[in-house]
Amino acid sequence: MKRWLSFLLTGLIALTTACSGSPAAGGGGEKEVLQIGALYPLTGSSALLGDESYRGAELAVKLRNQNGGVAGGKTVELVKTDAPDANAAQAEADRLITQKGVKLILGSYSSSISFAASEVTERNGVLYWELGAVSDQVTERGYKYVIRTNPPASHFSKIEIDYIKDVVAEKLGKNPSDLRIGIVHEDSLYGTTVAEFVKKYAEEANLKLATIQPYNLKSVDLSSVVLNVKEAKPDVLIGVSYLNDAILFWRQAKELGLDVPVFIGTGGGHTMSDFQKALGKDVDGILNVDFPQYEINKEYTPGLDDFVKLYKDTYGEEPRSGHSLANFMGTNVLLDVIDQVGDIDPDKLREAAMNYKLEPGKSATGWGIQFDEKGQNKLGQPYVHQWIDGKLVVVWPKGAALKDVTLPMPKWSERQ
Amino acid sequence: MTQFAQVVISGILVGGIYALISMGLNLILGVVRIINFAHGEFLMIAMYISFLLYSTWGLDPYVSAPIVALALFVFGWLVHRVIIQPILDTSATVKIFATLGLSITLQNFALMMWNADYRTVQTAYQTTVIRMGEVAVSVPRLIAFLVAVLISLGLFLFLKYTLTGKAIRAVAMEKRAAALAGIPVKRIYLLAFGIGSGLVGLAGSLLMPIYYVFPTVGTLFVLTAFVVVVLGGMGSMFGAFLGGLLIGLVEALAGVWISPGLKEAVYFAIFILVLLFRPSGLFSLGKGSEEVGLK
Repeated sequence: MKRWLSFLLTGLIALTTACSGSPAAGGGGEKEVLQIGALYPLTGSSALLGDESYRGAELAVKLRNQNGGVAGGKTVELVKTDAPDANAAQAEADRLITQKGVKLILGSYSSSISFAASEVTERNGVLYWELGAVSDQVTERGYKYVIRTNPPASHFSKIEIDYIKDVVAEKLGKNPSDLRIGIVHEDSLYGTTVAEFVKKYAEEANLKLATIQPYNLKSVDLSSVVLNVKEAKPDVLIGVSYLNDAILFWRQAKELGLDVPVFIGTGGGHTMSDFQKALGKDVDGILNVDFPQYEINKEYTPGLDDFVKLYKDTYGEEPRSGHSLANFMGTNVLLDVIDQVGDIDPDKLREAAMNYKLEPGKSATGWGIQFDEKGQNKLGQPYVHQWIDGKLVVVWPKGAALKDVTLPMPKWSERQ
Repeated sequence: MTQFAQVVISGILVGGIYALISMGLNLILGVVRIINFAHGEFLMIAMYISFLLYSTWGLDPYVSAPIVALALFVFGWLVHRVIIQPILDTSATVKIFATLGLSITLQNFALMMWNADYRTVQTAYQTTVIRMGEVAVSVPRLIAFLVAVLISLGLFLFLKYTLTGKAIRAVAMEKRAAALAGIPVKRIYLLAFGIGSGLVGLAGSLLMPIYYVFPTVGTLFVLTAFVVVVLGGMGSMFGAFLGGLLIGLVEALAGVWISPGLKEAVYFAIFILVLLFRPSGLFSLGKGSEEVGLK
């Protein structure tokens, strides 16, 4: 009886493996399909940017398949998977590996999802290709099968402090060491991580910290934050916010008459087109450090126009943020690597990725590619943008900049 | 000193918003004795209706407020008739699962219909403020606050003096005796649930110029609303109103004196103290109301 059962089980397992591999073994005329798991939060509170991120990956794959696929005509297919939180991420990664038999998962927009899912992939020897989550820890854990194309959170803070030292101080006609820096940040992992790095780099650069204001992301009233900042009178205020709190902060800053000469947002809500829609003209002048957006020096970002066109044709609207672009760029790198290897083999893919080199200024985001030992791309960096006439325009670094920055921001009383 | 005045005013104004959202919940909790976990989603639906009326016909959220309130009244009526009524005599667990399920369903329905995008309305008065010296008072928040005052007053009078109001109170206090006295309990439940939902509809309209709507917006408010209701005392309209103000004020002061990151911790600490020493709430209707919805 027992033997019979084990036969049956072996048979079943053999059958499932055969099934999942069947496109390869199957008919000669059929194109071979390479499956990649795509793990993003598509429902829940991160749904908007999760979906936006997924679109980037989807378009990269679509474009590649249209142009003949990878490795001599193999088609790539994304297995779209919803992971609204860390628990779901773990469960879904597990499901993708054990049931769908994928050997490669890309994702994931959110760092907590990335953490949870990459634990599972690492254990199973499956490659995790991160395109958008920013927590430094994603690659700092030193996992073998994690590779990340986008810059981590610490780069955002580094760029902010460098920019304040190199550009803002001069524009305000002050010595960098006289500048008073304030931080307002939401107190989940994203906000605290960026704020910690800002603090660290500011101290290294001898900048004065005037105030640090953490708040809960779900807060429906930020008047106390605004009033505390108003008391502290910083020259430069760095903000780390998601969308709802970013909108709320600015509305209340206007109501309560908080004037700061320079405000630098750190991606998140300050990037979104919904942020601009909600606040209208009031966004003009706000700086924002983030992944590349669309108002950028096009010579530095070949392929960007094609991406935007493809996006509009596919979804019938303008890209909602740069998340899709960053995911598009990273997925392209992945597809190049798969193309070289010819198949989805985590070890070979990793090796090929380590040897993959791309100079800055040659991709749709302008990022270069060179992975370090931990799988982190060294040549990707966030850019400084400014909201000018309702558009988020790159103003720094020079190669990518489209316009010059205008500082300081006008006071509320001087605006129309 | 001006900062203190500003903090107090901001706190009271946001308290008005909490009160506005809590009163509908309170009515449902106090009368029908159902913990409506979907209350936040009712608010979300109201905000979407308000937004759609604005985006399709250009109706100002204040103008469309009665329409939204009416729509939510009907919606609440239907929800009660279809989902709540059949399970009224079952255990608390069933009721909790039913409304929790409804909450998840509504969130995903909204996600399907309108995506996860943040929708806002643009009005001329949106960030208008009245300045009294250094102190700024936001106009839409002030309006929401005044409406909250009017509603709590109106509800109080309605419950106190009209026949229907008296019937609602009778059902809230002792539903069996009320039924014996000839009060149609089922109809009163429907009505209370409808009015409770209508109030949250009104709240949604008034919030639209201040906030934004997205599928999970209800979760930002609903936890606070539950705290307000329990703190103020279930079934007491003034309790909900004052509870709202109290939490708004505590939050604002804690945000300035301690840290904005800890303001929730402060009001939850107060909440725990109230639960310990006055479990039926500050302005409760009497003993036993702390077990509302669980019996």
